[in-house]
This record gives sequence, structure tokens and C-alpha cells, in this order.
Amino acid sequence: MHTTSSLAPIAPATAYANTALKVSQLSWAIEGKTILSEISFALPQGEMLGLIGPNGAGKSSLLRCLYRFIRPAKGHISLFSQDISELSPKAFACKVAVVQQDTPQYFDMTTEQLVAMGLTPHKGMFDTNSSGDGEKIAKALEKVGLSHKVHQQYDRLSGGEKQRALIARAIVQQPQLLILDEPTNHLDIRYQIQILELVRSLGISVIASIHDLNLASALCDHLLLLDKGQVSAMGTPSQVLTEERIAEVFGVCAQVTPHPQHGNPLINYFYGYQKPQGVAADEVHSHTHQKQGGHP
Amino acid sequence: MIDTLKLVTMNLLTQILTPLTRQQWLILGLVGFALLTPIAAASFGAANIGFLDVLHVFISKFNYFFASDEAARTSSMTERIVMELRLPRILLAFVAGAGLSLAGSVLQTVTRNPLADPYLFGISSGASFGAVVMLTLFTGSGLFDNAGVIANSGIFSGSGTFAGLLWFSLPFGAFIGASLSVLIVLALAGLGLKSQVERMLLSGVATSFMFSALTSLLLYFASPQATASVLFWSLGSFAKASWSLLVLPSLVVLVSFMIILGWKRQIMALQAGDETAHTLGVNVPKLRLNMLLLCSLITAILVATCGGIGFVGLMIPHTVRLLFPGRQPIFLTALVGGLFMVWIDVLARCLLGNQELPVGIITAAIGSFFFLLILRRRKLSS
Repeated sequence: MHTTSSLAPIAPATAYANTALKVSQLSWAIEGKTILSEISFALPQGEMLGLIGPNGAGKSSLLRCLYRFIRPAKGHISLFSQDISELSPKAFACKVAVVQQDTPQYFDMTTEQLVAMGLTPHKGMFDTNSSGDGEKIAKALEKVGLSHKVHQQYDRLSGGEKQRALIARAIVQQPQLLILDEPTNHLDIRYQIQILELVRSLGISVIASIHDLNLASALCDHLLLLDKGQVSAMGTPSQVLTEERIAEVFGVCAQVTPHPQHGNPLINYFYGYQKPQGVAADEVHSHTHQKQGGHP
Repeated sequence: MIDTLKLVTMNLLTQILTPLTRQQWLILGLVGFALLTPIAAASFGAANIGFLDVLHVFISKFNYFFASDEAARTSSMTERIVMELRLPRILLAFVAGAGLSLAGSVLQTVTRNPLADPYLFGISSGASFGAVVMLTLFTGSGLFDNAGVIANSGIFSGSGTFAGLLWFSLPFGAFIGASLSVLIVLALAGLGLKSQVERMLLSGVATSFMFSALTSLLLYFASPQATASVLFWSLGSFAKASWSLLVLPSLVVLVSFMIILGWKRQIMALQAGDETAHTLGVNVPKLRLNMLLLCSLITAILVATCGGIGFVGLMIPHTVRLLFPGRQPIFLTALVGGLFMVWIDVLARCLLGNQELPVGIITAAIGSFFFLLILRRRKLSS
């Protein structure tokens, strides 16, 4: 049952039969400053985990540890019960694909070439792209709705199209785990929803850092709330997104009600950092409680 | 009936014509030009040998291999000039141009710096330093006048063992100098991912200045002939070309080309940023260091063989990229670089009636002009 104490119901790592990713006691510091400390969580296979938290909470650093761009000072990360440090760069890239926020300026490639880069870890030294690869690329482009932009320069795509092209590249990489670092940044709301739905529809395990709490609440199976490098809460959206926790971690005053469509928390922010007069806070609370009562 | 026929022919025509875009026509033309180049380029020079004469020589040589006909074996003066002087020279120019362009293209990609070129990493100044050390060593023993002429003019006929030693030791010294500067750059760049590119570029520039200063110091105390000789050498020339001299550069450039082709995907992935390349399974710092090593090897060998030929490594990759946008043309870059160098060398041979110009001067002059022209056209069209 739900409690309003600040201690989060952290999902035990052994609770799932098929764990895609398991992180235990992960810590990382740079120049004496602790960025991540004692982070433990597990991601069941095929689920989508949203990583939320304020700026500087360590979301990107955590993801970078997961895709081995930075080496944590302490802790273990295992992918399908194999320690990730045992994998070669190539073998790791065959299992984990990453979509980052931005690409460099000096970049001369067509959309198709960018998507074809996803084949890199699967290819040997002199392997050329087979017709099967061509099909794979075409299918991925179709899936993200970019079939008409195949030969266009990647530089000239719009923000949303760029993001979708990067996801198409990740699809071509055929990963078992997909990591996305703020995939919805700089996108208008339609593409924010579209991209997360697209990622969800792939049916693979996904970790995505997301700024918009409502978006995270609506589209993720589980949420991991980071605060100052520590896990503040982990669980289903309704377990994690409570008014108290949002106030504590993000420093804003909010009202949480069940979303009319999917029942997950819907967050309304109050401007001026405090609850205005006349809003029946208790009523809102009882809604949340009822809903969470239905989901043990 | 006529309408359907018209439609069919129209469809056929578009099917034949549309698959060849402007880029593909350009490539086709380039390959054709490349095939004609050896014959055409060999018909320029001091001796009056025409296009057809060269063609005749090539055909008779071709026959020589397949039919050991006595008549085909006799070698005329024309044949000797074409086969022993001009052809190796054309091939050396091609290899040098292709190698430098390849090195430039790869370095620009792996450092993601559009200004990177083989000489940016101190290779050329290191090579010059090595060459100057060798030259001044021989000047000290009073043998320079003789040897310097020989080292530069490409006439190796009977002038004593010391001259032969210099002819051998100048490229050797250049190679040692180039390797030394590369080792310094590599040691400073390191295998860490953090700021590897900046360290590479900055240490390259610093090494370059250091060796230039040392070279200037040596030249300041050296004889005027030595200075002139070093200047001539540093501007580059293919006059020394012979079949035996061609072996090592060709081998190095060819093997490097194969290696670069084999790692093409990884090199291209680096273009999208270190972090992206990492997520695509590329060991970024190691790949970058290896590519720097490979490009340095190409450049050191070429500088040692032909002297310092600047600007090709910087300009050709950009030209090819501007001409063929959205392609990753490793093969085309090598081809264009090679062809460019061959025709630059033809100009070097023919511009002045009785004297050869150093190719380095022409590459820089024509190259920069041509490059500015392309840049302007691109800017206008986009």
C-alpha cells in the first residue's frame, strides 16, 4: 500500500524473472565531487523506464555509465545477467543502442547514410551492405515516417525529423536495450508524444531520461526519480509522482490527479510556488489514494 | 497507338537517363579521364613525343608481355623515355597525390577538424629538419656541391659513393625527422578520450614550430647552396622518379588505402561525434591514434621521396566533398588527388621552357585558386 513517507518503494532487483538490466550500488565522482551515489535498480525485459529528476541530478551521467562512456568508480551493471565490462565494444554495441541529444555541426551525410551507421557494430572489415541491410534501413525509415527524406541531407532535417532519424539508426542497430538521453528535448508536443510512442512500440527494453513529468507518467511503465545523484524513488508512475515528492525534489507546488484517459498521475503546477486558496487539496489527495489502492 | 508507343519510349528513355544523376556522370567522366591520363600526361615533356607515340609504346609493351615477338622487344629512344622516365614519374605523382589526399581526408574526419591536413601534425617540418641535418652533415665534409646537385636533379650517373650516400640519406633523414615529430605528437595526445583531438592538434602545431626553428637555426649557419638545396627539396619534385623508387611509396599507399577501406565504417562513425561512435562499438581513442599513425606513415614516406608537397592533403578532400556532397568517397578522394598531382607535375615540367618548377609552388597556387572558386560557386548555389 502507498505510504507518503519519503522512502520510495524501490523495486528489488531479483523480483523479475527476465531482468534486462540490473544496476547495483553504482557510484561515480569527478574531481572529488560525487555525481552518482549508491544507485541500484533493475529493468524488466520489454519495459520502458523513465528517468526523471531536476537539472544536474545525474540523469545523463547515469545513462553514460550504462552505455559505458564513463566508467563508474564503484558498483556493478549487468545486462541480461552478464557484467557489461566483460563485453567487447562491438558486442556491447550489438546489444545496446543509444540515442543522444545532438550531433556535431560539421556533418555531411544523408538521412539514409546516418541510419545505415546503425549497421556498424554488426559488420566486419570489408563487409558491404547487402540487400537485406537495405531493406532493414528502408523499414526503419518507414517506421519513423521518414521514407520521403531518404536522400535528404541530415543537416537540413527539422528537429523532430533528426530525432526520428536517430531512432531509425537505433532500430537498425537491433539492440536489446535502447537508451535515450532526453529524446523529447526541443520538440513540439506532437513529436514528443510520437517519439515516445514509437519507442514504446518497438517492444524492447528502454531507458529514457525525460524532462516532462506528464509525458513520463503517461508513457513509461516505471519511473526512476533521481535527486542529487541518488535514487529518490522508483516504481510505477503513480508510486513515484506524488505531490510531496514533486515538491521536495523539484521545488514546485503541484496538484496530482489521475489522468482522464489512462489513470496515471496528471500533474498541474501552481505558479508562485505555493498552493493558491480555494483548491481543495484533500479532495485531490483522496483521488490519488483511491487510484493507487487499485494498483498494489 | 502512337501515343502508347510514345509513352513506352519516353519511359524507356527516362529509365535509361534518370539512373545517372549529375554526380554519377561526374564519376564516369572522372574514371574515363583517369584511364586516359597516363597516355596524355606522358606526351608532355622536353622530348617531343606525341599522344599516338605514347599509345604505340604502351601497345607494343603490352604485346611484349603476351607475344615474345623479337620485333616488339627492340626498344627505341622514345620507348625508353616513356617507360623509364615519364611513366614512373606519372605513377609517383599519382601515388603521392592519392596518398596525401587520403591522409588528409582521414585526418579531417577522425579529428573532425576541417583544417586538419597531413602537415598539421609537424610531419613536414620534422622531415625538413631531418633532411637539413643530413645536408649540413655532408656540407661539413666538403662534398655538398657535388652531392646537392645530384640529390636534386635526378641524374645519378657516376659521381662517387658519397653522393650516392646523400641521395639515399636525404630521404632517410627526412623519414627519421617525420617519425620523430609524430612520436612526440602521439605521446602527447595519449589514449584518453578527453580532449584527445585538442591535444593532437596543439602538440602538432607546437612540434611543427619547434622543428621549423631548429631547421632555420641549422640553415642560418649552413652554406647558401645548402639553403637553396633545402628550399628546392622542401617545395617538392618528382624528378627523381624511377621504378625502384616507386616501390615503397606505392606499397605504403596501397596498403594504407586497404586498411582505411576496411575501417571505413568506424571512421565514418567518428564523424558523428566521439560519443556516438562509442555507442556504435568503436574504440574511439585507439582508432584515432592508429589513423594518425597510418597517415603519418603515408606522409613521412611521401615527404621523404618527393619532398614537401603542401596543400593537396587539405584541399582535395574538401574539393571532393563539395563536388560529391553526401558521399563518403574514399576511393574518389584518392583518385582525384592522384590525377590532380599528375597534371600539376605536367605543368611543372612544361610551364617554363628549359626548367622545371617545384610542384609545391603550383599545387599551392592553383590549388588555392581552384578551391576558392569552388567555395564561391557552392555558396552561390546554396
